Amino acid sequence: MTSLLEVRDLHVWFDSSTGSEVHAVRGVNLTVQEGERVGLVGESGCGKTTTILAMMGLLPSTASAAGQVLLNGDDILATGERSVRPHRWTDIAMVFQGAMNAFNPVRRISAQIAEVLKVRGAESPREAKQRSRELLRMVGIPADRMDRFPHEFSGGMRQRAAIALALACNPKVLLADEPTTALDVMVQAQVIELLDRLCDDQQLALVLVTHDLPLVAQVCERVSVMYAGEVVESGPVDLLSQNPAHPYTRLLFASTPDVEDESELASIPGAPPMLDRAVVGCAFSPRCDRAFDRCEIEAPELRQVGPDRVAACHLNDVVPSGRSDSTAESGDLSRSTTGRDSP
Amino acid sequence: MIPETQTAVVEPVEPETPYAARWATPWGRLWHDVRSSPSAIIGSVILVLLILVALLAPLIAPYGVNEQVGQPLSPPSAQHLLGLDDGGYDVLSLLMWGLRVSLLVGFGATLIASTIGAAVGVYAGYFGSWTDGILMRITDYFLVVPLLPLMIVVADLWGANLLHIIVIIGVLSWTMTALVVRAQVRSIKGRVYIQRARALGARDSRIIMRHVVPQVMPLIVANTVLNIAYAIFTETALAFLGLGDPNQVSLGTMIEHAFLSAAISQNAWWAVVPPGILVAIIILACSLLGRSIEDSLNPRLRSAHLSARAFRMRRVAEDP
Amino acid sequence: MSRGNYLIKRSVAALLTLFIALTVNFLLFRALPGSAVSDLSRVPNATPALRAELARQFGLDKPLWHQYELYLYQLLHLNLGVSYGNSAPVIDNLRTALANTIPMVALGTFFSIVLGVATGALAAWRRGTAVEHLSVAPALSFYAMPVQWLGMLLIILFGSILPTGGMVNQFLIDPTPLQHLQDVFVHMILPAATLGLVLYGQYTLIVRSAMLETLGEDYILTARATGVSQRRILRRHAFRNAMLPVISVIALSLGFIVGGAILVETVFNWPGIGLAVYEAVLKRDYPMLQGAFLVLTLSVVFFNYLADLLYFWLDPRIT
Repeated sequence: MTSLLEVRDLHVWFDSSTGSEVHAVRGVNLTVQEGERVGLVGESGCGKTTTILAMMGLLPSTASAAGQVLLNGDDILATGERSVRPHRWTDIAMVFQGAMNAFNPVRRISAQIAEVLKVRGAESPREAKQRSRELLRMVGIPADRMDRFPHEFSGGMRQRAAIALALACNPKVLLADEPTTALDVMVQAQVIELLDRLCDDQQLALVLVTHDLPLVAQVCERVSVMYAGEVVESGPVDLLSQNPAHPYTRLLFASTPDVEDESELASIPGAPPMLDRAVVGCAFSPRCDRAFDRCEIEAPELRQVGPDRVAACHLNDVVPSGRSDSTAESGDLSRSTTGRDSP
Repeated sequence: MIPETQTAVVEPVEPETPYAARWATPWGRLWHDVRSSPSAIIGSVILVLLILVALLAPLIAPYGVNEQVGQPLSPPSAQHLLGLDDGGYDVLSLLMWGLRVSLLVGFGATLIASTIGAAVGVYAGYFGSWTDGILMRITDYFLVVPLLPLMIVVADLWGANLLHIIVIIGVLSWTMTALVVRAQVRSIKGRVYIQRARALGARDSRIIMRHVVPQVMPLIVANTVLNIAYAIFTETALAFLGLGDPNQVSLGTMIEHAFLSAAISQNAWWAVVPPGILVAIIILACSLLGRSIEDSLNPRLRSAHLSARAFRMRRVAEDP
Repeated sequence: MSRGNYLIKRSVAALLTLFIALTVNFLLFRALPGSAVSDLSRVPNATPALRAELARQFGLDKPLWHQYELYLYQLLHLNLGVSYGNSAPVIDNLRTALANTIPMVALGTFFSIVLGVATGALAAWRRGTAVEHLSVAPALSFYAMPVQWLGMLLIILFGSILPTGGMVNQFLIDPTPLQHLQDVFVHMILPAATLGLVLYGQYTLIVRSAMLETLGEDYILTARATGVSQRRILRRHAFRNAMLPVISVIALSLGFIVGGAILVETVFNWPGIGLAVYEAVLKRDYPMLQGAFLVLTLSVVFFNYLADLLYFWLDPRIT
């Protein structure tokens, strides 16, 4: 079965002002089935936002990318901007982080949505206007507010309007980047409930990027955990949270108290490695509480650790009963890998 | 291999900053940015060279400032690389002598203007309310009055000599500095450490001197450099309108003489072109340096979300 | 409604500034020591009868406060006195001078705005490439040139093709209106070009900054994400929004151009308000000078106010 959306071996580099390159996304794989809800979690700077931006080709001119983004089997990222542009909004849409500023401040919100409909949906101005109002109504914005300017909307309402905008061209996949950060708790719940309902109604696949783990547990079926530009573990949410196969995942879920406190990473000391140079060994090993000598030399690959789960950690290679990993057996620790070799 | 459970050695990796630790102060950042900016380097080098030439003029100028050496408006020759002006003086030498005077006016007037502007800006920004109100109304006036005509009137009434010109230009050019300094002082004033100092009862003058002024200094410096350009131009303007010091040769008076003596109609371009080019070079150098400092003080411009070039797609290099 | 309040506040501020300027104008020309109106010996060729008449006209025999009242009263009646230079009412001289300056300055300003916006937008769009540097370098260079010198340079270069002095051809007898207009226009080219070249650089820099800043805004990324074409985004979002602060700056700078035209008018002998100011200084024609100051100050206050209004009208966020 072809997945609706498949990201294969995605890499993104950014030119830095000092002349070198920052390897921000280092071989990410992601699959999304139709109607599926996938979470993408990790701390700030791990590359999750860059990953989903790259999925829509929304990279700046200082960036370069490699890999494939397969939409129903076709690589839409083949030639970069040119090949991906026709698919924007009509196939994949995005709700941005800080949707507060997603709208042009000097134009009315309903007009901005209508414009997208006119241009991308080939609707007449009148149809576009009507549909724009319909969309806004669907996300719960009162009729008398629709024609106002963005600064006249509250944060929560602007977020809803951003969702309305994202759904305008009936996409199949919705990418949501931290849709509830910077909103207060009551409003967060409303927006999530809205997203949930809309995705259900429209059979939308959702990729939810966030560092809010309880949110992922609530909304998503599967989750991928990213660290330093790579996916370190991926699988069904409940399995990951109860029985993590990667120390980082474990620390992430463990350090989240039940009260929705977002300072969950305060208990992992240290910081991720700078990605302007190659990473030797496991990227997480300096901060890992279970790291051992192999971790510093050899980067772990993503391996199957369950029927529907993968994780990249050497700890998973050690299995008591006779079945052992060939790498460990052969003691070939000198092979330098960066985890990108195909199995 | 059985892994031992061990506490990982916790060595916090240094958060990524574009600057090494020693550049972390405002002055350090400024120095770093200016050093790496081509326009700043070009601007500074030109200014330094010109200042050197001006200082060394008595030693390196081929002829004296009062030395008539030939027929007025003689074309360039081996002895006089830029020919002679309308009074029979060597243009190349006059350029150097004139540079001295022009730079003197530029620096002198700017010293006055920057001092007044900074003082007004700091007081208005720091004390607010009545002080600010009055100072701003005064500034408003200077913003709307036509400055050049005003300078002309004052220069004409007071008498046009070098000192008067320096004072006039200085006393009438402080408004921009005052406005930008005031804006920054207002934003600094709200910062926590200032509020704390005030709460602890520190005297205003101490707070101003120890906290506020050091923070605004880079901005004042940027403004000063740009003011120098303005002052030098204004000197040429006043000189052109007959209000330069008649006893001095400045780049402005050279242009004025070229105009009045109809050097143009006699196609004596060597009397017309060089002084203007030199003025343009000074002003350009000041602009490059001043803007570069200003840019360094502004928060980094975010990278454009839209640009002519798109991002590149590439193949992942195979591991060797 | 707070937008209405804002409007009222700005209007009051403009009037206040104007009032202060008028008052200082008065003080400058009357009360300062060495001021020629009060020191009538500086009026060239003043006979005792003229002195007495001037004293009466300006109320110099009365205390300062009365003089001030008289001044304001005369202002309201548009009585700016009589010029020493040609014995015509100052207001008439000013009218003529202004009518001569405005078209020339307008042409030059139009040229500088168009060129500045074009080069600035190009520099921003092609940031980091040679095109950017090629757009900005000439702009900065022209901006650095002293305007009177550039005028002289243009005379040297184009003096054989275009008129270089005055507003009209003295030898054109009885021109038809069309011929007159053509004549004036041809004379306007060099001075307007000088003004335009010197001024456009500042607009280049401002437009470039505004465009770069706008292109980094989040809504541009959103627009790009919706799959709208680059051209459309540039036109309808980036450029339009960037022009907002630019329009404001342009309006502000217009106020100063009229006064700044002094140098250009002197070089090209253009009979406008700049030249009028200059000649008034030379001839000690203080009523004329005072009137000209008034006009120039008024133009700055007016354009500042206009800039405020424009920004207020165009940006719905202002409250």
